[in-house]
Amino acid sequence: MLRHWPVLLPLLLIACGLPRDPEKTSERIASAHVLRVGVTDNGAWVNAKHAEPSGIEADLVRQFAKRIGARVLWSSGSETSLAQQLKHHELDLAIGGFDAKTPWKSIAGVSQPFAETQDKKKHVFLTAPGENRFMLALDTFLNEHMRASKGSSA
Amino acid sequence: MRGVPERPDAEAELKKAHLLAWSSIAYICSTIVLLFFVMSGSQALKTEMTGEILSLIPPTLFLIGDRVSRRPPNRRYPFGHERAVSAGYVGAATALLLVGVYLLFDGGMKLAMREHPTIGGFPLFGQVVWTGWLGIAVLLWSSIPAYFLGRAKRKTAEVLHDKTLAADADINAADWQSAAAAIVGLIGVGFGLWWADSLAAVLISLEIIRSGWTELKTALGDVMDRRPLTLDQKTDDPVTDKLTEFVKRQPWIADAVVRVRERGREFTAEAHVVPLADQVSVEEISRTGVLACGVDPRLADVTIAPVKSLPDDVARARHPEEA
Repeated sequence: MLRHWPVLLPLLLIACGLPRDPEKTSERIASAHVLRVGVTDNGAWVNAKHAEPSGIEADLVRQFAKRIGARVLWSSGSETSLAQQLKHHELDLAIGGFDAKTPWKSIAGVSQPFAETQDKKKHVFLTAPGENRFMLALDTFLNEHMRASKGSSA
Repeated sequence: MRGVPERPDAEAELKKAHLLAWSSIAYICSTIVLLFFVMSGSQALKTEMTGEILSLIPPTLFLIGDRVSRRPPNRRYPFGHERAVSAGYVGAATALLLVGVYLLFDGGMKLAMREHPTIGGFPLFGQVVWTGWLGIAVLLWSSIPAYFLGRAKRKTAEVLHDKTLAADADINAADWQSAAAAIVGLIGVGFGLWWADSLAAVLISLEIIRSGWTELKTALGDVMDRRPLTLDQKTDDPVTDKLTEFVKRQPWIADAVVRVRERGREFTAEAHVVPLADQVSVEEISRTGVLACGVDPRLADVTIAPVKSLPDDVARARHPEEA
């Protein structure tokens, strides 16, 4: 039992509801079942020309929403306006081909990468800042995806 | 051995001090690397990492200073090189102070702007763990060994009368406080209290400012030939009084003013003496000088200057300072 504690301790902490979201994003999603996602058009990553966005990232968001039992409420805008809405907690998530070096990382949260392209860019989602429980759920999901896609390409 | 107090255990302690300094550097580098990986959006961890980088300065200065200060005097540096460390310290302490002020401002701004630190998951052995928990583990690694390292350095510093090493020991020993502040900050963030992180960062920066300020005071005092203080910089070192007493006790001396200055690990002293008679033997003067050096193992040189009456400024060295 004791040698399992490095694995069990984090699980126990999550079971206690730690870390928590200062602005209660996870609680809100659990009760209202709505994930608010902002999109900005960017090549194969996100096609925001239709009401229901398509593309690699849009598909991932739908998978994630299913995982946490929420439906997606889409809205679109420029990168700047998405970042501002994240900052003010008007959005939970923003996608649009962002990579880990995005200048918005001083304003918004940056997730774990879900893909690495040939130009060594690590592709990420942006989140509302400081919602660490929500972030952890997203990071866990994206990391699984990253490992699954690496496994299939290898 | 030049630059080491004349005590039988001093050379062994110097070896130990070198070993301690090198292990500190290796250890601090390991904590910097670990902190870099788990830092994520935490201001407290960023501040702690900057503090760790700054704490590389004292052991490095010790190692450099130990080499430089042992160089013998020459035409260009007639008094030797013992002051090199003090000079280096003025610079290092100023840097510490400025960076501390910057970090205080940085953390304070984050608090005022109500910035929520984003600390997400960290992929580890096929799982994703909240980075905050890893941060706490790294902080424990950065503080517990440091505490014992600090205590070991303290003892060595006492034997060698080395202020660089003493300051280094103090920084290590105080490190657990800033690590504890950062741990509390991270736990606070875990409980959804976004401000706990910046608040911890502010406390850590205050600690950096405090140590920068005390070290700057010490270093400036050295450069200004302040009366020697004990290693903890709290009380007067007894060497000045002991030496004055010794010189005044000599049968051929009527009155004396002894001024002691610290030069690195060593002391040098000037004694202006008023002889009882008009004639004094050179033999007597040099003998007194040599014997006076034996009053304290840290005394490297005592100059005896016979005078008819004490020069005004020399006599003023007896006056208490004006507050």
